[in-house]
Amino acid sequence: MSQQNNKTSKTSLTRRTVLSGAAAMGLSTIARAQAPAEVKVGLIVPLSGIYTRPGQVMRMGAEMGIEHINAQGGIKSLGGAKLKLVVIDCGDTTEKAKNAAQRMVAQETDLVAATGSYLSSFTLAVTEVTERAELPMLTLSYSDLLTERGFKYIFQTAAPASRQSELGLPELMKLAEKASGKRPKTVAMLMDNTATSVATAKALKEKIFAQEGLQLILEEVWTPPLSDATPLIQKVRSARPDLLLFMPNAVSDAKLGLEKINEFGLGQGKIPTVSFSITIAEPDMLQSVSPEVVQGIMTIVANWGSKGHEDLIAELKAKYKEPWMTQNVISTYGDMWLMKLALEKAGKADRRAVAEAFRTMDGGPSKHYPGGQLKFDEKGRRVGAGVVVVQWQSGVPVTVYPPDLAQAAPFWPKKSS
Amino acid sequence: MQNLRSLLPILVFTALYAALSLSVTNSYYQLVMTLVPVWAVFGLSWNLLSGYTGLISFGHAAFFGIGAYTTALGQIYFDLSPWMLIPIAAMLGGIAGFLIGFPTFRLSGHYFALAMLAYPLAILYVFEWLGFQEVTLPIKRDNPIAYMQFSDPRLYTLLALAMMLGTILLTRVIEKSRFGMALLAIKQNEAAAEAAGINTLAWKLRAITLSGAIAGAIGGFYAVVLLVVTPQSVFGMLVSAQALTVAMFGGVGTVWGPVIGSVILIPLAETLNAEAGSRFPGIQGVIFGLAIISVILVAPEGLFWKLRDFLRKRVTSPAAATPSAPVQPAAAIASRSRPERPKGAGEVVLEVRNLSRSFGGLKAVQNVSFKLRRNEILGIIGPNGAGKTTLFNLLNGFLRPGTGEILLDGRDMSGRKPHELCEAGIGRTFQIMRPFLRMSISDNVVVGAYVRARTDAEAKQLATEAITRVGLSDIADRIAGELTTKELRLMELARALAGQPRILLLDETLAGLGHDEANEVVTVIQRLARDGMTIAIIEHTMQAMVRLVDSFLVLDHGAVIVEGEPEAVTRDSRVIEAYLGKRWMAHAPN
Repeated sequence: MSQQNNKTSKTSLTRRTVLSGAAAMGLSTIARAQAPAEVKVGLIVPLSGIYTRPGQVMRMGAEMGIEHINAQGGIKSLGGAKLKLVVIDCGDTTEKAKNAAQRMVAQETDLVAATGSYLSSFTLAVTEVTERAELPMLTLSYSDLLTERGFKYIFQTAAPASRQSELGLPELMKLAEKASGKRPKTVAMLMDNTATSVATAKALKEKIFAQEGLQLILEEVWTPPLSDATPLIQKVRSARPDLLLFMPNAVSDAKLGLEKINEFGLGQGKIPTVSFSITIAEPDMLQSVSPEVVQGIMTIVANWGSKGHEDLIAELKAKYKEPWMTQNVISTYGDMWLMKLALEKAGKADRRAVAEAFRTMDGGPSKHYPGGQLKFDEKGRRVGAGVVVVQWQSGVPVTVYPPDLAQAAPFWPKKSS
Repeated sequence: MQNLRSLLPILVFTALYAALSLSVTNSYYQLVMTLVPVWAVFGLSWNLLSGYTGLISFGHAAFFGIGAYTTALGQIYFDLSPWMLIPIAAMLGGIAGFLIGFPTFRLSGHYFALAMLAYPLAILYVFEWLGFQEVTLPIKRDNPIAYMQFSDPRLYTLLALAMMLGTILLTRVIEKSRFGMALLAIKQNEAAAEAAGINTLAWKLRAITLSGAIAGAIGGFYAVVLLVVTPQSVFGMLVSAQALTVAMFGGVGTVWGPVIGSVILIPLAETLNAEAGSRFPGIQGVIFGLAIISVILVAPEGLFWKLRDFLRKRVTSPAAATPSAPVQPAAAIASRSRPERPKGAGEVVLEVRNLSRSFGGLKAVQNVSFKLRRNEILGIIGPNGAGKTTLFNLLNGFLRPGTGEILLDGRDMSGRKPHELCEAGIGRTFQIMRPFLRMSISDNVVVGAYVRARTDAEAKQLATEAITRVGLSDIADRIAGELTTKELRLMELARALAGQPRILLLDETLAGLGHDEANEVVTVIQRLARDGMTIAIIEHTMQAMVRLVDSFLVLDHGAVIVEGEPEAVTRDSRVIEAYLGKRWMAHAPN
């Protein structure tokens, strides 16, 4: 691991040397007089406490993004200025996140933009601070509330939670119909009571189930951590739904639930199981369950490493030993490029100018987020933001929808009884 | 004047803190400066209940969270301003305190602590179930000041500081009044407090209501500072723990404790997050934990007490070296014989009829009847386990009698609560002394005076008189922790006397005393009797007893075996067999 790091830092050093050599040759002497040699962007994520792991993964994406941007010549409208990543630990509580954000805006006064926060509660607190400091903040958190406060400095790249189920579930229904010849009619819903699950469930119950002709025959809510999944799964077994929506937000809960589903003989497609967060497709899952247990399980997520990201996925594997690219990596990677785009447009390293650039940009189709444009509406939501359906296939969660991003064709688990 | 002087350090500290906060320009440090008084106030609210009564609450987040959600939801749904919502939060916190306290005070010790732990966790789930996982205070761009949304964060610090000063002053007032004395007495020994005439449940309820109100108010303010309220961030375990941590670190049972704890720990945690956390994420928690553990090991009662003890030692060590003056100038040598007093002539003040009490199959007291006449000293003797202390516990209300009557001036008082019986005129001391070690003799005794006194001044007066009566006037300002066993016995006697009882129940008052010391105490008791007190005394030291008492009541296996004058009783063969032993005869005084 450390050898690996040494090696990469050496290569980046040489790259940097070459580039600064080029700069020294006089290419950017004039520009350097007006533009800074480096532009700081922030990454505020949990690096301590129980959410450390997603924070670390987001950091990987950010570092890769910065490295690629700098290797390709930095910010051209700023005379090739390099991006510099400032990493801030937002801890594991809302208060710590708020304090960390205050520290970020007070002590890193030359930041031009930031991204991160992971948990939507943390993002809520962080953006209360960045909004007042007029620092543009990108986020992959998808709580609707984030962009319903009338804030001017928050930019949400993912489709909001209510929209994700709206976009994802109809596709799943089509898929089911195509593969098995009939539409699912009954559905069971097992969910934890975290903010994202509650928002998703609300959208499902109020609108989408009726729209898709699904009848909710079982609904169970638990408070994480789940200590025993047996009573939940027993109810599922007696209800025998055509479709099971299983919505955990902690890897341990996901593991408990799926193991129990398997133990009761409902796994591997006897009851097609669908989730709504990346939890169920995290690499950690394989540390505790076998690939057979998760085979065929699908999840509707805001972003995922997909077709067109092959090089990135390979690099992530080589550099950080991550087996695949979750939303946390690809979105944060994309955020760096989005910041670069805004900086190019703004033409100066100024947070207000960068924010204005985010608001007015029209960057065309997006390469690192599913669907839509690199463009934000007046609420700060990315226009046309779509979703990705991911399916476990032979021990790897691969993108199966939308077709232009799919790495593999989806299969609908065959109901055996 | 004295009061003003004791407030001076607090006022100076507040002024310095305010000045410092005004000079800070970095908005992050400003936020930290705001959080210090916020957590100090929360610690103070915890201290008001747990620090003074000793009933540890692991659940103060319940009140804090109710306050925070009041501010958040009030602004979202009713468009009310925090200026109005924080007082409402205080009210709701107080109500919650009362409602939680009422059933929970039936428990004590660890059970109380554990039960308290449950409340915030239960409420947390309720708020999650209600769909308040994430609530944000709407930004008010038009009229920010009216909604407590300042563009200058230093104003939050000043506001928090004002709340802290208010809480400190309130705590000081309570500390010095009968409220504080009652709470301290409960902390030391709830039973003794109840026996000293303190209605412990009522005072505890007042304490938790006030404590809940303060926690609710500061929780409401915290929501304004944090702007985002989630169940975890206001009802979580860590929030309850924060109150305990700052108070226990700084010092329990003093206003300075939570303030010191907060001033050190909050910036320390933040600095660690900022400095160590950016280099080795996660290490901040380890360092923070170790710091707390080491301080608790070195100063288990908190920094404040450690420092105070250290300073006191340095200041008083020369004075303490001088031998303490003879403590008992008023006491004459114990008279060799019983003073002559009219016997059997006084009216009956206490009459016990057929009193019984069993614990399961054990009949601790069976069918005991006796009369206590005014100005009489009744000695209650008997072997260990004979039911003597149980009898006292029945007389002063610690235990409810199974059957029988206790008539005080002809009125049946059986089954009344101890503080009611104390009010009715029954005072008692305990076999095992429970002095309030950190308090002076005067303060110890004042606790006992409140049952009779209407004002604090009157209580002081009664206490001074009681101290004089037992001959401790010269050392009245000494801390109880420095006293000898004899002095402590006398102090306990004074505490019982301060309530101006008509009947004194003395439980093994001479236990653990040397021969001469016992004589001094006996002299004091004799003097009380001479002045008209009616006394019932349990004692094993027969030599002293025969000189002291007018009559004996001998118990064995819970029942009276003999009753009568000392000469007759000590010669009774049943008494000799059951209690005194054959050797008694050889050494018996003539």
